[in-house]
Order: sequence, then structure tokens, then C-alpha cells
Amino acid sequence: MTATTEKKPPAHAAPRPKGIAALKPHTTTLMVVGGVLTLLGSFLPWATFVLNKGPYPAQATLQNFTAPLASSGFRLHLVLFGIAAIVVALVKRIPARHRIARALGYGTIAVSVINGLWITVEGGGLGAITASEGSVAFGAIVALIGGIVLALASRVGDLEPVPEIGWKFNRWVEWLILLVVIVLLLLLVAAVLTSGGFGATATYAGAVFLSFLAALGGFLGALHAAGLLGWVNALFDRHRGYAVILLLVAALCLPLTSAGTEYWMTVATNIGVYAATAIGLNIVVGLAGLLDLGYVAFLGIGAFVAANLSGAAASAVGIHLPFPLVMVIAAVIAGIFGAIVGSPTLRVRGDYLAIVTLAFGEIFVRSAQNNIGGLTGGSNAIPGIPPVEAFGIGFDQALRIGPVSLPRGVLYYFLIVLLVAFVMAVFANLKYSRLGRAWIAIREDEDAARAMGIRTGPVKILAFLIGAMLAGLAGAIFAHKTATVSYESFRFLESVTLLAAVVLGGMGTIPGAVLGASILFILPEKLREFADYRLLLFGIALVLIMRYRPQGLVPDAHRRAELVEEPEPIDTGGDKPTTREAVAP
Amino acid sequence: MSILMSQIVNGLILGSLIGLIALGYTMVYGIIQLINFAHGEVFMVGAYGAVGTATFVLPTAVTTQWWFLLPIMIVIGALVSMVVAILMERFAYRPLRNAPRLAPLITALGVSVALQEAVRVFYPEATAAIPFPSIFIPGALVLPIGDGVPIQYSGILIVVVALVLAFALNTFVEQTRLGRAMRATAQDRDVARLMGINPDRVIVLTFALGGALAGVAGVLYGNFYNFINIDMGFQNGIFAFTAAVLGGIGNIRGAVVGGLAIGLIKSLAGQYLPGGGAYDYVWIFVVLIAVLVFRPQGFFGETERVRA
Amino acid sequence: MTRRRTVAAAAILAGALALTACGTNRQEAPGTGAGGASCDTSKGTLVIGMVAPLSGGLSALGLGMRNSADLAVKQANESCAVPGYQLVFQAEDDQATPQVAGQAATKLASDDNVVGVVGTLNSSTAQTVQPILAGKSIVQVSPANTGPSLTRGEDPTGAPKRQFESYFRVSTTDLVQGPFAANYLVQKAGKKNIAVIDDGKTYGVGLANEFAKQAEKLGANIVARERVGEKDTDFNPVITKIRPLNPDAVYYGGEYPVAGPLSRQLAGQGLDIPLMGGDGIVDAKFVELGGREGDLATNVGAPTESLPSAAKFVADYKAANYPEPYSAYGAFAYDSTNVIIQALKTALAGGDYNPETTRPAIVKAVQDIKLDGAGGPISFDEYGDTTNKLLTVYTVKNGEFTPIETGTFEG
Repeated sequence: MTATTEKKPPAHAAPRPKGIAALKPHTTTLMVVGGVLTLLGSFLPWATFVLNKGPYPAQATLQNFTAPLASSGFRLHLVLFGIAAIVVALVKRIPARHRIARALGYGTIAVSVINGLWITVEGGGLGAITASEGSVAFGAIVALIGGIVLALASRVGDLEPVPEIGWKFNRWVEWLILLVVIVLLLLLVAAVLTSGGFGATATYAGAVFLSFLAALGGFLGALHAAGLLGWVNALFDRHRGYAVILLLVAALCLPLTSAGTEYWMTVATNIGVYAATAIGLNIVVGLAGLLDLGYVAFLGIGAFVAANLSGAAASAVGIHLPFPLVMVIAAVIAGIFGAIVGSPTLRVRGDYLAIVTLAFGEIFVRSAQNNIGGLTGGSNAIPGIPPVEAFGIGFDQALRIGPVSLPRGVLYYFLIVLLVAFVMAVFANLKYSRLGRAWIAIREDEDAARAMGIRTGPVKILAFLIGAMLAGLAGAIFAHKTATVSYESFRFLESVTLLAAVVLGGMGTIPGAVLGASILFILPEKLREFADYRLLLFGIALVLIMRYRPQGLVPDAHRRAELVEEPEPIDTGGDKPTTREAVAP
Repeated sequence: MSILMSQIVNGLILGSLIGLIALGYTMVYGIIQLINFAHGEVFMVGAYGAVGTATFVLPTAVTTQWWFLLPIMIVIGALVSMVVAILMERFAYRPLRNAPRLAPLITALGVSVALQEAVRVFYPEATAAIPFPSIFIPGALVLPIGDGVPIQYSGILIVVVALVLAFALNTFVEQTRLGRAMRATAQDRDVARLMGINPDRVIVLTFALGGALAGVAGVLYGNFYNFINIDMGFQNGIFAFTAAVLGGIGNIRGAVVGGLAIGLIKSLAGQYLPGGGAYDYVWIFVVLIAVLVFRPQGFFGETERVRA
Repeated sequence: MTRRRTVAAAAILAGALALTACGTNRQEAPGTGAGGASCDTSKGTLVIGMVAPLSGGLSALGLGMRNSADLAVKQANESCAVPGYQLVFQAEDDQATPQVAGQAATKLASDDNVVGVVGTLNSSTAQTVQPILAGKSIVQVSPANTGPSLTRGEDPTGAPKRQFESYFRVSTTDLVQGPFAANYLVQKAGKKNIAVIDDGKTYGVGLANEFAKQAEKLGANIVARERVGEKDTDFNPVITKIRPLNPDAVYYGGEYPVAGPLSRQLAGQGLDIPLMGGDGIVDAKFVELGGREGDLATNVGAPTESLPSAAKFVADYKAANYPEPYSAYGAFAYDSTNVIIQALKTALAGGDYNPETTRPAIVKAVQDIKLDGAGGPISFDEYGDTTNKLLTVYTVKNGEFTPIETGTFEG
């Protein structure tokens, strides 16, 4: 059938096993071919008919040859990839051309596979992306081949090392560049969040989101390959203070973007609560190396304390204290419990300690379920917790400042952003403090640490205490934001989720926990098609991460993480001295 | 008096079951010092495998005769659990054999969640509890003490099978060549290798044995309670781990005694301690913490094993 | 060598493509979706939401609710119930936890096209969802909440006070069902020594408390008040505890996953007394999991056979081939959805949808609604509770719940 006409391109892939070297002189041609095929694929129709659930996005059923500028969505991404590939192929002055081509190729492959598969599954067979009842649509296949050719070209050619760009400008110019980068980052985050729309009317939100992520991955990969990401990273390091403040401002500006809806504010607040808690856990697990499997209990304790002091009708205590005071009390009480839970560390180590913390967590859940002392509402939970109020404004209200109107929940979002920033600052300061070095020493070798004069007992309990206090703070906000506190929110699975957030992001790193928590919350929101498999995939992901990338997405650069086997890379002579030399046995 | 006796009977039955699961924990920990958190799920999978076979595979003519069905289901349960345990060892734990200690434990958590969810998603109607056929003599033997102390026949089966299997396992480990290889590997893997033992095979054998025992426990559990659900692994797994620690981890007799102790604590605490049945779990965990803190070597453990 | 293998691979690939090339699920009238080509949907799409546990331990109940509501929406689309609009059903998972429920409710509330929400299942999640939806005047109709305080405030009997104008439920409260069960068990069945057990959840505790209150008023002796965990499996210690007290019946406040095994373990310990429960145990699973002949239960509304509308629901549900059974709250979820659809129709009469004005109009229309549902006639009192106080006592006979008597609770 028509399919045979398209069978030629795989012939390129044919000599891969042995004849791959023969193609070496032709990498430029290959790259051009790949780029052209990608472009061609983006202009061809992708679906042979209007799918039963409604038309696939980006006008997938039309061909865009007639209106090349009408490409949108994933087809626009492919157009950009195609053009970029051709440019990279032809302009020989660009450094690391093959590396860039590889990123573009992988991005193209991912985008075409995601969209092609989705259309195939929704359309009930390969007929949906090839030919059916007189209409043809080979967009997915042509683009996929284009991507494969691109990747092949980069494999044939020599992969250059990532170039280091040493551009240095006037400080103001660099500040301006950073500003632009961070504004772009903000817009990108908003675009990722809102991609595909949401609600029952957005049928293909999952596909659009995944495709967008893939395109973004390819794009960032290309930037990284060109050395631009490394350069921006260096800029960040040069102007750390300025960049951190900018990032904070950018986070506070999120409500002004397209993600500024009540829904995303709520999701972002929840992410914030868990991120703050995960950073606290990161102190215990990532820095001090003490595995805590009942950590969510401290979030629960903070939440129940706040609920009881909020003046909620259902609380047994029934007094109403101002919110800042409540936060302090919640943190202190959670901290006290943290010290109690941490006290067995004086005698118990390693796996046994993990089980002790798990037992404490289960005791907390069981006691809260039984409404211990009338403080937790038991199965009835504590409902009707009033919103936080400041200056006469309830935090659950929408906000209008002059011409700018902000959605409901935005004040909680601001609150949680400030909390996360505070927690990060605490973490960063601790990590590079005497105490932090002691924790890391204990993590690496407790006996050696003790031999070096570190009083390991109090230091370990301090880790639990501080971590629990941070979780308690988050819990106080959590209680007011959700307005109901129930023991069901603090079960064992939540502890595992927090741990997964820390592990996924990278143990012992500052942005890691935030990144991990964001991923674990945003993915299920976006991929509702896979809702039933959420926990299954979660479990499998945990196993795979441990096997293939135990250091997480953002590995701890300066210090060997607890989970990495290979020896520590030579310290780059950074500003902070490591303690490892001091404690090495 | 009859209340006390009845609660002791309840405790012994549950305790034997927990002891049977605890054997798997204790053997695996003894050999590779891994808390195989997913062992409880192995127990659960065995029960589902057996009931699935009885429901969907076996002809109904067979399933009406308990004396025929009981051994078949026990064997199938043991086989299913054994296969799952072996796969788990091969694909999840073996690659991490020399990784730092947190990695296998987090992996075990992942395996646990994944197994539980896999059964929920792929087994028909597993979102809620499913019935388990009664495959032993129904009813109870009533001891003439006070108001009468009923002992269910299926409970007697649990106690007898658990004790027999534990005894058999103990004999195997103490007196056979393979058992000696296991003990050697537990003591020092590298030296065992020098002695011509293949530690990988011994470790697989350990997982397989522990899995098979858990599978048997799963079937006995289903037969006793006549229903199973996907949560049963997590809860009983934690109890079993507690039992293994209580008895001295790595010690086979200890696991059984620990299991019986846990069963008795649960039933007696529910009867006599403040808070009643609602807090019986809490007491088990209190005991767990107390043991770990004050006597981490358990009842039978010889020396405290501290891992760097 | 390599070349030959490549050729073979290409041939296989081409063959595979050719074989599958024609496979699609293309339909005759693509684009119009489930609405069918006959309805006018020119004015757009409106969403009916649901918040219920679609995963986790209670998902059997939640999925039944989802399917039943989905059925109602489909039928409305087929019959062009709301002229000019296509209805879309959006079910959100609350995992039976209040926090996730709050997030799901916010998600629905921030969509301007949402006209009403069916749910929740649990009373604890309802407490979170209520204020969020009420803030946007979105009507909420629950098929399953039984906690009296959801509609009548902290003191439901002494000083009842409506909590949210936009909250309604088609299920009765514990205030009605518990005492009704007590009347039957004490007066008709003549049980005088009753052990009361609950599962510690809002539903179970509320029901058990109301039952115990009324039973004591009628002169019965509550010999034991015990609690089991919702995830417990071994009830032998509890049974051993109540056995010497010689109860002649057990009342259980909770749902079937515990009630079935509990009933069976009662018999296993030689306590051959009936177990009675509420609507949460009226499910075929109860018997499968160990419910015995002679066990009792109350359920809301008249028996299914006596209502033609209910029989139609059961038949339609079967015809729609949902993978899960409709479970305990299916009929009520179906009714709740129809209440919203009916009210939407009334509120829209002639006009176009506008979230600011239509939503309050829907709330008002629900308040005044009169409908014959699958679970009986539906209308709401001044607190948002159903006026359908009809209850039926069932007993397990030949492995099925069979109605014994139907009546109303008169205090």
C-alpha cells in the first residue's frame, strides 16, 4: 500500500552495526536530511481522521504545506527542531554540532513517538497515523525517521565535549541577562503547567503535556550541548545573591502568568507544603544519613497543633491565637516530638533506626485515628479551620491590587513561597555550617566522626529536631489552607512519597527536594489517563531510580551523596572546604 | 478464665502465622542484612495466586473437595510467592548488592508499593477485599473450660503447619550441606566464596525458601479468615518484621517465638490494656521500639550486629 | 550478511505496517462525540463534576458512583435533556482523604463550566469540599454522606442550622437510619442484649451512636461498645471479649469490607447471633466475604423491585457494560446526577449559561426539585436533607439481601 513509499529512509539506518563508520564523511548531509524530514513531518497530516474523542490538537488532521506559518503546538516545536538541525548542519562554526544534533534528534523522536502513539491508541490502530479510507497521514512516521537520522548522524560523527563558554560582560549586562533568563524560566514553568488546558473539556491534555515536556527536553538538551546552559550556570554562580533574589521574585510573580488560576495556586501551595517538609526530611536523610520512614507525622503534628489553636469549632482546645504565634508553637511541638523520635538514634543505627521511625509514624497515625485526647478529631477530622487573616484580609480571598486581580488562594501561595525560601535558607546555612559538616561526617562514617570529637548523639537528635520543626511550620500552613485536618493525610504512603521526593530530586541538595516534590505532584495532575497506574509507576520508578540514578536528578556536586558508589570527584576548589578530609578514617 | 484462654488461643493462631512470615525476614536479613520490606507483599501475592488459580484455572469438580484443594492451593501459593521472591532478588536487589545501605531499603519500599499496586490493578476486583474459599474442616473445637473456649480447626491447621515448617527449616539449615552453605554465607560472604560456595545461589535459595513459606502462610491466612485484601501484606509484614527482631534477627527459632509473642501481645493488649482493641497495634509498635532500643539482639540473638 | 538481515527487517516492518495500516476505530460521525448527531449542542459544553475515591480501599464504592453518574450524563446527552448544551462528566479522585478532596474540589470550582458536583462518599471529605464549592455557588449533591452535622451543624438535634445553601444529599442521615434499625432489632426481632461495634469512621461511629441511643431508649441493654480498625482483618480478640457477655445480636456501624468477615468470625467463635448494619453493608460483597443467613441491614428507600425507576436503572447500568458493579451508592449517585441535570434545565430555561447567575439558579432549582429517582422520590427539606425518610430492613436469605419490611422512622 502507500506504506511502501515511505520505506526507504530506514535504509539509512541499515548499516548501523558495521557500516556506521562509512557514513562518517556524510554527517552534514545526514543532519540536513534529518532536519528536512523533521520539517516535512511537521507539515504532513498526523491523523487520518478526526478522532472520536474530538480533533487531535495542533490541527493534526490537516496538512500545513498550504499554510506553513499555521503550525502550532507540537508541530511548531518540530518545525523549530527541523530548522535548528539544518542550521546546525550548515553553519560549521557552531561548536559541538553533533552533540546539538543528538539533542534535537532525541527531542524529535520523543515528540513524534508520544504524539504518534497517542493518536494510534486513540484512533484504534496504526491506520490512524498511516493511511485509512483514502486519507493519508504520515507526519508521525516521517518526523520519527527524521529524528532517527539526526540521532544517527550524531552517532556517526564524533561527539564533541560540551564547550565551555567564557563570555564575560559588564556586571549590569550580566544582571540583565540573568533577569531575562529568569523571566523566560518563569514563563516556561507557567507554560508547562498550563499546557494542554485542564478539566474534562481538555481531552488530550496528557499528550500535549508529555509532548511539551519532550520538546522542552530536546530544546534544553541542545542548549546544554551548545554550552549555553553551563554558561548561564556560571552566571548564576557569579551573581548568586542577586540570582536567588530574582528567583524568589519570579516565584512570587507566578500568579501573574497564565498559571495564575485558583487551581494552580492550590496545587502550587500543596507542592510548597510538601517541598518544605521534604527539605526538612532532607536534613535528616540527605545530610545526616538517618533514614526516617515516619516523617510525615511531624507535618501532621504541626497541622493538628495549628488546627487546635485556630479557633475551629470542632477543635477540643478551642482557643484562637494569632497565626505567627501558632506557627511558632506548631514548630516547637513538632520539634519536641522530633527529638523524642530521634532519641533512639543514640542506640539504634541504620535499618533498625528506619524501622523505629516507621513504628513512631504508625503510632501517630493510629493514635490520631482514635482521636487521642480529643485532639485530632479521629475519623471525623477537624473541619472548618478558619483561613489565616492578616490586615483584615482572609487568605482564601481573591486579591485585587489596582488593575491586577489575583486568583483565590494566592495569599497562601505567597505564604508558602516565603516559607519554602526560608526553609531553603535554613538548609543552605546549616549545610555549610559546623553542624552541617558534623552531620555529613556522621553520614559518611559515624565511628570516625565520633573519633574526631563530634558528639554524635546530640548532633543526630538535632537533625531530627530541626527537620521536624520545619515540617511543623509547613503543617501549620497546611492546616489553614486545606481547612480540614484528618489523620488520613499522614499515612505511611505519604512518608514514602516524601522520601521519594528527596531521593528523586537528589539527596542533600537544596533544589532537589523542591524539584522532586513538584514532579511527584504535577505529573499525576497532568497525566490523568494513567491515574489508575499512578502508584504502580511510582513504585517502579523508585526501584529504577535506586538502580540507575541513586544520586537523583540534581546530584550533590560537592559532596558524595550517601547513595553514590564512585569516589568523590576532585573538589573543584570551591569556596567551601569539605570536611571529608578531616573525618576520613 | 475462659476469656484469657480464648485470647491466648487467638494470639497463638495469629502468632504462628506471623512467625511463618517472619522466617522469611529473618533468613534474608541473616544472609544479606537487608530488611526485605516487600516480604509482606510476597505473602499477599501467594494468597492471590492461590485463590486466582482456584477460581480461574482449576475445574470446579476439584475445588469442592477440601482434602484435595488444600494441598494444591498451598503448593500453588508457595510456588507463586517463591517465583515473585526470586524475581525480586534478581532484578531489584542483586544489582544493589554492594550499594550503600539506604539504596536496597528504598528499593524494597518501591517493590512493596509496586507489588501491591500490580495486584490491585491487574487482579480482577482486587480494589476491595475478595473472598477466599474455605479449604479445611469448617467449625470449631470447643474446649470445656468456663463458658467454653472455641478453637477453629483452620486455626489448628495454622499452628501445626507453622511449627512443622519451622522445625523442618531449622533441620535443613542445621544439618544439610546447603544449610551449611547458607550459614557460611551469612557469616562471611567472601570467605564462603573461597570455600567454593556460590553466594548468589545461596542468596537466591534463601529468598526462595522465605518466599515459599510466606506463600504457605498466605494460603493459610486466606483459609482462616476467608477473605484477603491487598493491604494484608503491609500490616502482617510489619508484624512479622517486629517478630523477627523480637526473636533475634537471623535466628529461626527466634522468629517463631517472636511471632507467638506478637500474637499474644496483640490479643491480650486488646483485652486488658487501656484503649482496648483500637490501640492493640500501638502496643505492638511500642514493644518494637523498646526491643530495638534496649535489646536489639532480641531474645535469641547472640551479639549485637552493628552495620557500618 | 548485514544487508540481508536489513532487508529481512525492512520486509517484516513493511508487512507489519501493511497489515495494520487499515485498522482504526473511525466512526461515522466523528466530532459530535457521545452526544449523537441529533442534539443541538451549539451553545457549548457544560461539566458535571464528581469527587469520590476512585483509587484505594473504598474505590469499589467510588467507582460504582462514577459509573452511575456517567450513565446519567450519557442518558441526558442522548435525550437532549439540556437543549443547546453538551454535558461532560468529570470525575476527580479524592483517595478518600480530605486534602486530596480539597484539591479536586478546587480544580472543579475553578472551571467556569462546572454546573454541579456529585459527591463525596466520605463525610470527612465532604467537610472540606463543601466550603470550596459553596464559595462559587456550585451545587453539591451527595449520594452517600450521612453525617448529620454536614447539613444541620454542630448540634443537629438541639439547634439545627443549615451549613451551606448549596449542599444537598439524597441519602438519609445517621439520625434516621440508626434509630430505625434499633426499632426493628429491639421491638420486632426482640433482641435485648446487643453488642455495638463500629469502625471508627464518621459514618460508622455516627450510625452506631444513634443506634445505641435509640436501642437504650427502647429498653435494650448495650452489653459492649467496641471499635475495630477499618483495615483490620482479625476480629477474634474483639469477639472473644464480647462473647462472655452473652449478646443476642451485634450491631455494626461501618461498611461491608469489615462487616462480612466480622459476621463470619462471630460464627467461627460459636456466637451464632445475627449481625445488623446500615446501608454500607448492603452489597453482594457482604455475603461473599462472610455475611451469614439471617444477618440484617437497613437501607434507604424502598426495595428495588417495588420501584420501576430503580429496575430501569439496574437494567440500563447492566446494558452500559461498566467493568465495576454499581455498588451501594450507585442508584443514589445516578439520582444525584439527575437532580443536577434537571435543575440545570430549569435554571437555563430560555437563557444562556452564565456562571454568575446560572449557578445560584441551579441551587434554587435543586432546593425546589421533585423527582422520582432510582432510590425513591426526591425532594429536599430546609437543611438540604432528603425528605425521603423511607427505609427498608433487609435480611440475608439464600445468599441475597431480601427485604423484610419498609417503613419510615417517626421518632
